Amino acid sequence: MATLFWLQTGACGGESLTILSAEAPSLEHLLSDCGIDMLWHPSLSHQPMRQHDELYRSIVVGEQALDILCVEGSIVTAPRGTGLYDSYRGTAKMDMVRELAQRAGVVVAMGTCAAFGGVHAAAPNPGDCVGLQFDRDRPGGLLPPEWRSRRGLPVVNVAGCPAHPHTMTQTLAGLAAGWSLPLDELNRPQAFFNTVVHQGCTRNEYHEYDIEELEPGGRACLFFNLGCQGPMTQAVCNSDLWNGVSSKTRAGVPCFGCTSPNFPRDADLFATPKVGEIPVQLPLGVERSRYMAYKNLARAAAPARVRNKEMDV
Amino acid sequence: MAKIELNLSLNRVEGDLEIAVELEDGVVSQARTVGTLYRGFEQIMLGRAPRDGLVITPRVCGICGTAHLYSAVLALEQAWQLPVPPNAVRIRNLCLIAEGIQNDLRQTFLFFTPDFCNPRYIDRPWFAELMDAFEPFRGSVYRQTLALSRKAVEIVAQFGGQWPHSSYMLPGGVTTPPDLRRIIACRAVLDEIQRWYEQTVIGAGLDDWLALDSADAYFSWLETPAHAASALGLLSRSARGLGLQRMAAGTPHMLSYGAWCDPEQPQDRLVPGGFFDGDSGQIAPLDQRMINEHVRHSWFKPYPGGLHPSNGETIPDFQPNSDRYTWAKAPRYGDRAVQTGPLAELLIGGDALIESLHALEGGNAWLRQFARVRRIAYELVCARRMLDELSVDFSQPHIFNPGKSAEVDGEGFGLIMAARGALGHWVKIKDGAIARYQIVTPTAWNASPRDSNGLPGHWEQSLVGVAVQDPEDPIEIGHIIRSHDPCLVCTVHMLDTGKKRHFAP
Ligand code: SF4
Repeated sequence: MATLFWLQTGACGGESLTILSAEAPSLEHLLSDCGIDMLWHPSLSHQPMRQHDELYRSIVVGEQALDILCVEGSIVTAPRGTGLYDSYRGTAKMDMVRELAQRAGVVVAMGTCAAFGGVHAAAPNPGDCVGLQFDRDRPGGLLPPEWRSRRGLPVVNVAGCPAHPHTMTQTLAGLAAGWSLPLDELNRPQAFFNTVVHQGCTRNEYHEYDIEELEPGGRACLFFNLGCQGPMTQAVCNSDLWNGVSSKTRAGVPCFGCTSPNFPRDADLFATPKVGEIPVQLPLGVERSRYMAYKNLARAAAPARVRNKEMDV
Repeated sequence: MAKIELNLSLNRVEGDLEIAVELEDGVVSQARTVGTLYRGFEQIMLGRAPRDGLVITPRVCGICGTAHLYSAVLALEQAWQLPVPPNAVRIRNLCLIAEGIQNDLRQTFLFFTPDFCNPRYIDRPWFAELMDAFEPFRGSVYRQTLALSRKAVEIVAQFGGQWPHSSYMLPGGVTTPPDLRRIIACRAVLDEIQRWYEQTVIGAGLDDWLALDSADAYFSWLETPAHAASALGLLSRSARGLGLQRMAAGTPHMLSYGAWCDPEQPQDRLVPGGFFDGDSGQIAPLDQRMINEHVRHSWFKPYPGGLHPSNGETIPDFQPNSDRYTWAKAPRYGDRAVQTGPLAELLIGGDALIESLHALEGGNAWLRQFARVRRIAYELVCARRMLDELSVDFSQPHIFNPGKSAEVDGEGFGLIMAARGALGHWVKIKDGAIARYQIVTPTAWNASPRDSNGLPGHWEQSLVGVAVQDPEDPIEIGHIIRSHDPCLVCTVHMLDTGKKRHFAP
C-alpha cells in the first residue's frame, strides 16, 4: 500500500472537487483497488483534526512512512518571504510543505497552482505565490531545481486549472504501482501531456479549412480571433473528455492554456494577438511562412458546408 | 468558573478558517472566526480586460465556479446594458442548478452526516442504521452521493465543456446552443437524480414532498416508514435526537438575492429574494445599496465604518498580533449581521414548510441542513422547467453578441444565489480596463468577523451558548459550523490543548 497525504495551500479546492469526477479510476476505486492508503485528505477525512496533526508530526519525525505527498494550491510566500498569508495555526503552510516534502517518496503538484503558481501568481501576484519547483516557467520555486524526492524524482507536475480528473487519478495509480513515469521538460507526466488540446477538438475541420469565428457562440474555430490556445497547449481535454461529456473548446469556450506555466496570460484572454492578419503564436512547432501558404490554399478548398458553418460541433 | 480557550482549525475551499472559542463551564461564551488565507483575487483583476473576470473569478472557488461566472457576467451585462436571449438565461439557470445539486448532495452526505458516525454516538438507537447509510466511503448513501453528484455536473459539461472552472457565459448569452442531443442527455441525468432523490433521500414522490406545508405535517410524516428510513429521515431523527433543532440560531436576520433569473425578465428572479428582518419577522425588498463591508477587525488597511462594494477597498495590512484577526471582511446589510444560504433562500422565497418550521423553532443547525436537502426538490423542478422550455424551439438565439463598441466604461453588479447563499460581484470599468472589482461571497456573510461597531458575525453568534461536552473533541461545533455549508473543504479541525492564541476583544 502506498500512503498518501493531501495538503491544500493557497487553493480554491478545485482539484479536490475535480478528482471526485474521475471514473477510470474513480477516487473510490483508487482507494479500494489501486493500492492507495489515504492517510489524510482535507475535504474528505472525517477523523478529528488531532489525527491530522499527529500524522503530520509522525511523518516529519520519520515514524510514519509517506509515499506520496499531494499538494494542491499555490505556495504563498508573502509577506516578505514568511508565508504567513497562508497559515495553519500560526505556522506557514509553505514550511509544512517543505518539511513533508523531505520525507515523501514522491511529491505531486496537483494543478497549475501547485506546479507553477497559477492564477494566484498572476500580476501583481499579491500573495507572492510560486509553484513547488517552478516559479511560472522558471525552474525553482519553493524547492530548488536540483531537489529530488526520496524516490529520486523532481516534483511531478500534474498541471491544469483544474487538473484533468484522470490525469490526477491515473498518475496516482501509476505511482502507487511503482511504475516509472517519464516526465517532460516541465516535469509533467508525458503520458498526459504529449497531446495538444487541439487534437480531438470537434472544431478541427473548421480550423483546417481556416474557417474562423469573429464572435463567440458559433460553430467554427476559435484560434484566429478568440484567443484559443488549443494548438499550443498540452493536455488530454479533447482525447479524454471532461465529465465523460465534452471539453471547453467543444463547447465554444476558447482554451486558455491552463496547463501551461504562464497561465493566465497577461493579455486579454478572449483575444488572439496578431501582427496584421497573422497570429503572433502559431500551433506548436509550425513554421510561419508555410502555415500561411497552407492556410490560403485550405480556405480556397473549404467545402461549402464548412464555409457556411453548417456542421454541428 | 472554569475558563478555557480553544483554537479550532477549519479548512475549506474558499480559504482556510480557524475558530477561536472561549469556554466557560463548558459553554461557548465567545467565538472568533479566523480566515487564514489571503490570495488577493480583487487585486489580480485590476487593469485586466473586463471579460478576463469570466476566466479568473470562477477560480475563486472550486465548488461554485458557475455561480461566480454567473455573477461576473451579470455585472458586465449591467455595466454594458446588454440584452440576453431567454434561452441563454435558461441554460445559465440549468447549469447553476446542476452545480447546486452537486453541492447540496456532497455537502449533506460527504461533509455533514459523517459527523454523526462519531464513535461518541455508538449507543444511540439510530447508530447502526446510520453507519450503513452514511459511513464515509462505505455507507450506501455516501457511495451513491459520490456517483450521483458526479452525474449532476455532466449537465454543466454539456454547455460549458467541463466542470469545474469554465467560462461559457459571456456578455449577451452563452457559447453553446441547446440541441436535441444535449437536452435529451441532460434530461436523462435529471431523471436519474430525481428517481434517487425520491427513493433514497426523501422516501416520497416530489409532488407529495413539495405539498408538505406545515411543521405538524412534517413531524407526522417523519413517522411514516418510507420517510423515516430515507436518508433525510435518518438525518432528521439523528440530528433532532442530538438537539440540533435547538442549537445555533445565530443572527435572526437573513439575506437572499433570489434564485434563478427569469428567462423572460432577467432582472426578476423565479424565487424572490429580499431581506428577512429577524426582529419584526418582515421581509423587505432587496436594496443592494444597503450592503457594506467593514474591515475594523480584518487584516486590511483600515477605513472608518463600512464601504459599499462599489467603492470597496482590499488592501492587505497583516497585523498578526493586534485585535484584528482574520482575512475575511465583515459584510453588513444596513448595519446588521445576516446569515445566508438555503434556509434564507427558502424562507424568503416563501416555502410554506420552512416558514412553519422556522416559526416554531427559529433558525437552527438542523433546519439549515434540512433546508438544503429540501432545496434540491426546487432545483429539480426548475431544471426540468428550463429543459422543457429549451426544447420548444432549438432555433432561438443563445447569444446576442454585443460587439466591441458596446464595451463602454461604466459600473455594474451581479447578484445571484450560489449554492451557499448570496453572492455578489461589483465591477467598475475605466479606459476599457477593470478599475475596481469587489466580490462578496456567501461565506463572507456567514463567517464574518466583528464589524466596526463590535458586532460579531453570524457564525460567531451561532456558537455562543453551545455546550461542548468534550473540549478534546468538540464535535458539537463541527455540527454547527458544517450546517452552514462553509465550503467543501471546511472540515472543522479540532485542536487539542497546546498552542493557544488569545484574541483580545
Ligand atoms: S477551437 Fe481551438 S482547439 Fe478547437 S480546432 Fe480551433 S484552435 Fe483547435
